[in-house]
Amino acid sequence: MLDSLFDDVKRMNKRQFIYQVLSFGMIVSSALMIWKGLMVVTGSESPIVVVLSGSMEPAFHRGDLLFLTNYPEEPVRVGEIVVFKVEGRDIPIVHRVLKLHEKNNGTVKFLTKGDNNSVDDRGLYAQGQLWLTKKDVVGRARGFLPYVGMVTIYMNEYPKFKFAVLGCLAIYVLVHRE
Amino acid sequence: MGETNEVVKINKWDGAAAKNAVDDAIREVLTGDLKCKESFALIDGRLFLCALAVGVALYALLWDYLYPFPQSRLVLIICVSSYFILMGILTLYTTFKEKGIFVVAKEKVGNTTRVWEASSYVKKHDDKYNLILVMRDSNGKYREASINKSFANYIDTNGTVVQNLVLNEITKLYNSLSSEKKEK
Repeated sequence: MLDSLFDDVKRMNKRQFIYQVLSFGMIVSSALMIWKGLMVVTGSESPIVVVLSGSMEPAFHRGDLLFLTNYPEEPVRVGEIVVFKVEGRDIPIVHRVLKLHEKNNGTVKFLTKGDNNSVDDRGLYAQGQLWLTKKDVVGRARGFLPYVGMVTIYMNEYPKFKFAVLGCLAIYVLVHRE
Repeated sequence: MGETNEVVKINKWDGAAAKNAVDDAIREVLTGDLKCKESFALIDGRLFLCALAVGVALYALLWDYLYPFPQSRLVLIICVSSYFILMGILTLYTTFKEKGIFVVAKEKVGNTTRVWEASSYVKKHDDKYNLILVMRDSNGKYREASINKSFANYIDTNGTVVQNLVLNEITKLYNSLSSEKKEK
């Protein structure tokens, strides 16, 4: 069974094999280039994020997919939902802007809070940090798609499952001649 | 990979696998039994385009890693647009230049060079294997012939490609295209 799986590969000549590897590379590259293209278009380093916690209920639920933009010319305003990074945390946070101070020279500092949390986010920020600034912002929520992100959440909760699925797909593409 | 004269056994119900197996058999006949020399320019062109596209993507990945996003913006724009242009060129190349040609073989007869191009296609859910053999020589002659026969003519019930049957068919086509009198 496993032997016949690799029959196609064994029968290929050198060029066919190179093409097989390259076409696998092109599948991966296409996904990558679409992502990088979205980054350029939206101006955000991570144009699509998944909501991981219930802290923004009832606006967003766990598993919602958010589309972000981060155009420098658009000012941040109170009431907007921003995605921001905090030093020492890997995962960005999606919360609403609660207070905002803007200076004449355009610099802003603002405070955020989760709609479903009872206190503001100062406890979540880095040690001694009281305000967020523009450079902490990953993007602003522009649209969302409910539930789609659950797949990503499950994948991250069960990494073995993720690697199994990705591995199977990779082997299928590499082994199967089109 | 690429060992000749081994028995090729495939799942005969898989149209793509059957096509690939018969294609390979025909290549073997043209370059082996009929002693033509395979020319790789066409497939190398495609490999070059693919490699270039993957290279561009890798370069974008590396650059974005070294100079995180807002800095890498310009390079990303260039890479992303050239990647999609390359994909477009690749599609044009395979549909208009390659047109399903799976082997190009050259042969010297006297002082003329003949170029043989074999292409094939199979319609979805169809057992008919369409083969088109084209002969071009350095005097500007162009002849073309095709066979449209079921896979059953090349593959036996076990899914083994019968090299002799393929050899017969191809030799017949080859001879009819080689002989001068068949000129259209």
